[in-house]
Amino acid sequence: MRVVIAEDNILLSAGMEYLLAAKGFEVAEVATDGPGFIAAVQRHRPDVTIVDVRLPPSFRDEGIHAALEIRRARPGLPVLVLSQYVEQVYAKELLSDGHGAVGYLLKDRVSRVSEFVDALHRVAKGGMVMDPEVIAQLMTTSQGKNTIQTLTRREREVLALMAQGLGNTAIGEHLVITDNAVHKHIGNIFAKLGLPPTDSGHRRVLAVLTFLNNQP
Amino acid sequence: MWRGGRYLLLGLPGAIATMLVPPLLAAAALSTGLAGAGLVIFPRALVALRRWAEWNRRRAAGLLGVPVSSRYVSLSQGIRAQWRQVLDDPETRRDIGWVWRHIATGIPAGLAALACIGTAVFTVVAASLWWLFPADAPLRLLTAIPVTSWSWALALGGGQIVISGLVAFWAVPKLARFHARTCLAALEPSDADQLAERVGELSESRAGVLDAHGAELRRIERDLHDGTQARLVAIAMQLGMARETLPEGSEPLAELLRHAHEGAEEAMSELRDVIRTMYPPILADRGLAGALAALGARSGVPAEVDLGEVGRLPAAVEAAAYFIVAETLANAAKHSCATRVLVRLTRAGDSLLIEVTDDGIGGVAEARGTGVIGIRRRAAALDGTVLVTSPVGGPTSITVELPCGL
Repeated sequence: MRVVIAEDNILLSAGMEYLLAAKGFEVAEVATDGPGFIAAVQRHRPDVTIVDVRLPPSFRDEGIHAALEIRRARPGLPVLVLSQYVEQVYAKELLSDGHGAVGYLLKDRVSRVSEFVDALHRVAKGGMVMDPEVIAQLMTTSQGKNTIQTLTRREREVLALMAQGLGNTAIGEHLVITDNAVHKHIGNIFAKLGLPPTDSGHRRVLAVLTFLNNQP
Repeated sequence: MWRGGRYLLLGLPGAIATMLVPPLLAAAALSTGLAGAGLVIFPRALVALRRWAEWNRRRAAGLLGVPVSSRYVSLSQGIRAQWRQVLDDPETRRDIGWVWRHIATGIPAGLAALACIGTAVFTVVAASLWWLFPADAPLRLLTAIPVTSWSWALALGGGQIVISGLVAFWAVPKLARFHARTCLAALEPSDADQLAERVGELSESRAGVLDAHGAELRRIERDLHDGTQARLVAIAMQLGMARETLPEGSEPLAELLRHAHEGAEEAMSELRDVIRTMYPPILADRGLAGALAALGARSGVPAEVDLGEVGRLPAAVEAAAYFIVAETLANAAKHSCATRVLVRLTRAGDSLLIEVTDDGIGGVAEARGTGVIGIRRRAAALDGTVLVTSPVGGPTSITVELPCGL
């Protein structure tokens, strides 16, 4: 699997290259800024990309802008965004084109090698991975919001796991319930959030987006 | 006596010349009628007056041997700014007050000094020429005694010189010092003015401290992000890899590595908290507007954030504003049962005004740890004030004023 990385810190990019190579990824290029990253993606057509939020020259949220820009040019290009802190708005912005194939994780998670590789695979396949901290922020702050309030506690748990990018089976294992039960909960969530029964991968993204948007 | 005499004799023409100041100022003001020339001339005339007053003040201070600070002005650009500058300056009022005192004390004191010295000079000349006076109207010395012979002339002339010398020796330094003190007092700032000036200096130095502090906050955040945090991530990554590659059956080593890995993760999490409470990274990334929008977006109660034209703010004030808004929104979500919160930030003079109003049930009990204490502490650290109105039944409104000192 070919990867393009945007990371300006040599220490981290070298570590990531080593780690990914060990796990059978091919790192096509490491870009050190936004424009370099976009050019590298156009050159190598990678299967998945990893982007640091803070990049030169401004050292602000350059990485988010680069990720959004390249996805406008190549809709659905898998992007895993890494940062030293998480902000709900960034997650929302990344998901808002509705194409999925988005991950947003704290850099800490990279050290959990197999989980990180797993997340990368899921994003590459068009799935979605949100950092547990984003979910935690949502869970603590979204009480009292109309839409989320209509969900039962169990449904909220399912939605949180869905946001972390788990599939039905994994959610079932996590909550110790049957696949069938998971399926029923997810159906209820879609219904309560008013999401039409179209293709279900897409709906999962929309459900989480609704969750992030906190809007009825 | 000589210094005093020189001071007074030089001051006399100075004081006489100062009599020209009021008519000259009036003429400068009236010249506005001449195609507005006075608009340009008048502020310059006041500056010239300042220079004249300063020259006199330095002489007075030199005589008394006291130090004085300079009060010179340099005019700013633009006629309107110049007028405001000279008219707002309390020193201008003092300069004009000084004009009258300088005239009223400088001329008599100068004349008195002149009289003492003049008498001595006159006596020498007159006594040596006594024989030129006609016999029916002889020279009179010591006010009344007629001089009719050389011996009389020497005795009376010597006596008159000694007397006027004694008077001058006694009176001239006193007069000189009196005049100098009067001048300095007229130009010295009053206690209230000095206090106001001190407050101004202190606000300025606080603004400098706030600015420096803000720059430090940003630098520390950046350094930690690029340095310590990145290093910790790299260490954790290596520990993670080490754990992955460890062959089965090396239990004690695996356990050690697990501890080290978890320790590194905890350190990252703690460091993240430290940075967040010191200077939230989103402020660095998106500025106050972006950071507040992010707070509003994830608020438990639907929140509307209205950030007006607040201009440039010190980083410490931005950070405090961010925490205060975060705290008030969290409070509203936890206690108020509100359905809407309005957050408004405006600039009021030197201060940033943060108003947070909800439509909840009110009755905020500050003592029961409702987060208002945290808000007060944050505000107090910046010399700010917090006003909470929360009648039972609502609504709650919290107003925080943070001085920006810019």
